[in-house]
Amino acid sequence: MRILIAEDTEDLNRVVTAMLNHAGYDVDQVYDGMAALEAMDTSGYDAVILDIMMPKLDGISVLRNMRERNILTPVLLLTAKAEIDDRVEGLEAGADDYLPKPFAMKELLARIKAMTRRTSYNNKSSGFANYILNGDTLELIAENTVRLSLKEYEVLSVFTVNAGKELTTEYILERIWGNDTDKADVDTIYLYVNYLRRKLKGVAAGAYIDGERGGSYILKSKD
Amino acid sequence: MEISNSIYGDMYPYLIETMDRLTCHIEAIREDMKRSNGMDPVEHVLGRIKSEESMREKCRRNDLPEDKDSALDKIHDAIGIRIVCAFIDDVYVMRDKILELEGIELFKEKDYIKHVKPNGYRSFHMIIRVDGKVYAEIQLRTISMDTWAALEHHMKYKKNIQGNNELIVRELKRCADELASTDESMQTLKDMINDL
Repeated sequence: MRILIAEDTEDLNRVVTAMLNHAGYDVDQVYDGMAALEAMDTSGYDAVILDIMMPKLDGISVLRNMRERNILTPVLLLTAKAEIDDRVEGLEAGADDYLPKPFAMKELLARIKAMTRRTSYNNKSSGFANYILNGDTLELIAENTVRLSLKEYEVLSVFTVNAGKELTTEYILERIWGNDTDKADVDTIYLYVNYLRRKLKGVAAGAYIDGERGGSYILKSKD
Repeated sequence: MEISNSIYGDMYPYLIETMDRLTCHIEAIREDMKRSNGMDPVEHVLGRIKSEESMREKCRRNDLPEDKDSALDKIHDAIGIRIVCAFIDDVYVMRDKILELEGIELFKEKDYIKHVKPNGYRSFHMIIRVDGKVYAEIQLRTISMDTWAALEHHMKYKKNIQGNNELIVRELKRCADELASTDESMQTLKDMINDL
């Protein structure tokens, strides 16, 4: 597995690279956005880590440029904590995930693993606890199987990729409904969470969604 | 039917009476719930006594002598009642209400809704003993599970007819999993409406 990291803070770049090397990944390091694009022109990567604030070309512009050119490599954005708009903008520009700074190396590694795992499962499938979410058939499979609707699948995918992490109602709204927010609100998210709660139970999944209407939700393992 | 020839011996009228009594009890539960919640938990109820022919066939299949003891004590579905509910939670409500009835004792139950059969079959089965005398099998399921089971049964029956059997089996499984998903969605919506 080959990973490109574009991060202008040299210390951070070095630490992340060392950690990824240690975990068995090949890593190419660049320190600005232009260099990131050049690197992608010469080699293929399994995942790209992009800092948003970078000299020459910022992370979001790099990402937009990639997606415009149909480079679909999974992208993890590194954002400063206050940059909520950047995060939303990043996701809309085609990022697969984001990680606010400061972050734990363990979490960065888990996210990179999840992201590259998703690509190897025929681009889409994911799983948590004892269930598998099949992106081709929209099946939720544990002891039993049910077929989800597209929106249910998308919501559960976000939970699955972010298992154990609190997701705000707003985040889910943005991520799944994007610009269609006139068609969805707090109640929509609550309803979809409730659909998924029953369906997770229906297939005897070892996971459940915690949280209340309008607040943050979190997918947890039953053990 | 000549009593002397029947596999049920002189018990046939008692079986009918027991089945009728059970369906009456179920009707009473429905009325009760309609009064208290404004919604009937049950779509329809069907009862039958297993035909002479199928009972004898089942005895043979299970290597049992074709007699009254086999038909009433070894085999437990001489009386069969199917309760079809609109919503999935009603299946479990009806199960609980039936077990609260006097003279009813649970003999065994199999939850094919929680433990779905590989072909996609979903249903809740229980065998009860009535007044310590006869057994009855009660099947509870939702309308969509019932529709599915009817088509699956029809397919088995027509199995000899040529066609792409594998495709049909696979698609039936897919439909079962879609219907199950919709059953859960409908229940979720119903709960949400009730909470308003």
